[in-house]
Amino acid sequence: MIRLLKYGFSETHAEPAWFHTPRELKSSYDVVIIGAGGHGLATAYYLARDHGITNVAVLDQSYIGGGNTGRNTTIIRSNYLTPEGVRFYDASLALFRDLSTELETNIFYSERGHYTLAHSDATLRTARWRAEVNKHFGIDSEVVTPDEIKRACPQIDLSCGGNHPIEGALYHAPGAVARHDAVAWGYGKQASHLGVEIHQHTRVTAIERAGSRVTGVVTSRGRINTECVISAVAGFTPTVLAMVDLKSPIEIFPLQACVTEPTKPWLDTIIVSGSLHLYVSQSSRGELVMGAAVDPMELHSRRSTFEFVSGLCDQILDLFPFLGDVKVNRQWAGMADMTPDFAPVMGTTPVDGFYLDAGWGTWGFKATPICGKTMASTAASGRDDALITAFNLSRFDNFQLVGEKGAAAVGH
Amino acid sequence: MKIINCPHIGPRPVTEFAISGILDPEPEDLGEYTPARWAFERNSVALERVEWWFHVPSQLWFLVRRETASNTIIEVTAARD
Repeated sequence: MIRLLKYGFSETHAEPAWFHTPRELKSSYDVVIIGAGGHGLATAYYLARDHGITNVAVLDQSYIGGGNTGRNTTIIRSNYLTPEGVRFYDASLALFRDLSTELETNIFYSERGHYTLAHSDATLRTARWRAEVNKHFGIDSEVVTPDEIKRACPQIDLSCGGNHPIEGALYHAPGAVARHDAVAWGYGKQASHLGVEIHQHTRVTAIERAGSRVTGVVTSRGRINTECVISAVAGFTPTVLAMVDLKSPIEIFPLQACVTEPTKPWLDTIIVSGSLHLYVSQSSRGELVMGAAVDPMELHSRRSTFEFVSGLCDQILDLFPFLGDVKVNRQWAGMADMTPDFAPVMGTTPVDGFYLDAGWGTWGFKATPICGKTMASTAASGRDDALITAFNLSRFDNFQLVGEKGAAAVGH
Repeated sequence: MKIINCPHIGPRPVTEFAISGILDPEPEDLGEYTPARWAFERNSVALERVEWWFHVPSQLWFLVRRETASNTIIEVTAARD
């Protein structure tokens, strides 16, 4: 009581410390994770919680969650197309539901219902296909009529300006949004409490090997001994792969997004249209969070463009004409690891002790918890976790692709 | 708006173009590559590269030399048959 009074009357209040990381790097760690985004920090957390491996360093060339974790449009869903994808993303969704409690951090997880609009018979057929695959795996997913869409979202123009009338939608009730920064911070906080060190502004410049085995990493702040390196660096995967002389089919494309000025709450669902290349939801602050497909050309920077905003606004006004007076407040871009089959590249590699969590293109945020869990079990055991065997880098040697384009492209 | 200097009709906005990937003709002999590795492997780090670009309104193909960190277009040449 007295402490509380003293705290209340004191002029300055110390910020509670989320991360307890010593200033200096140690000379050796059991595991080094490159990339302190959601995926890297979740991997560190599950390594510590599930496998008792706490001598772990998470290194980032910049700051926590400053890459694609803080740049995505935060949509979480599991209505994918392939059995491998559906099982994997649904396990992620189950973890997301309890994540605020698990991490003692409010991630503002909010189930909104997710509509993937179909403007043509072909899209409606894919929606039906996805719904049937989803239902087979027990996922709440169904095709709905234009009337049902209108009931859930009365503001929508079903004729889409007369250009692309809406014929139906794939409806996924568990579709949700969450506060993306909080996911990274929450995982970082709990990993840090369990003993993991998070070193920001520490760039990895080389990975050392003896034969085919990893022996250490060289960073901008000195050398570290380690026999286990996990790369979780969306947008920089080819750069890290070059350090261990590996190649992959990953190409880097920019993905842009923007938010409008805040409006009163009116949109309580997530609306996605593959044909119009857009997705939109309303944040808890009232902003409309909007995004489109990746830019058409490879790029290794995070510039954002006027073409993107003007193109996106053109499409969104077909769906919601009354937004004509609403202004776009901010726009930004991330660098997306695109793969030819729109599925990730995860798990073991031909280099012993080097594990890859990559190829997360435009679909990585929703996979954060399950990526952490499966990458931790993979690195702890040295064998691919059963949920991710289909995503191994070797699938491209055998033409065993996981065709997820129909469910991953645009539809976040 | 980014402007591309079209050799035929002068400056055009980038939105009029479709990009069709890197100029990478299949070699006569794949050497150490397997067909799968040749088909899939990429080296997506910042560098200069030549790409196929298509100008939709005029239906003409171009070879564009571009640097992928700054997105600078260095040279645009009309593709020949």
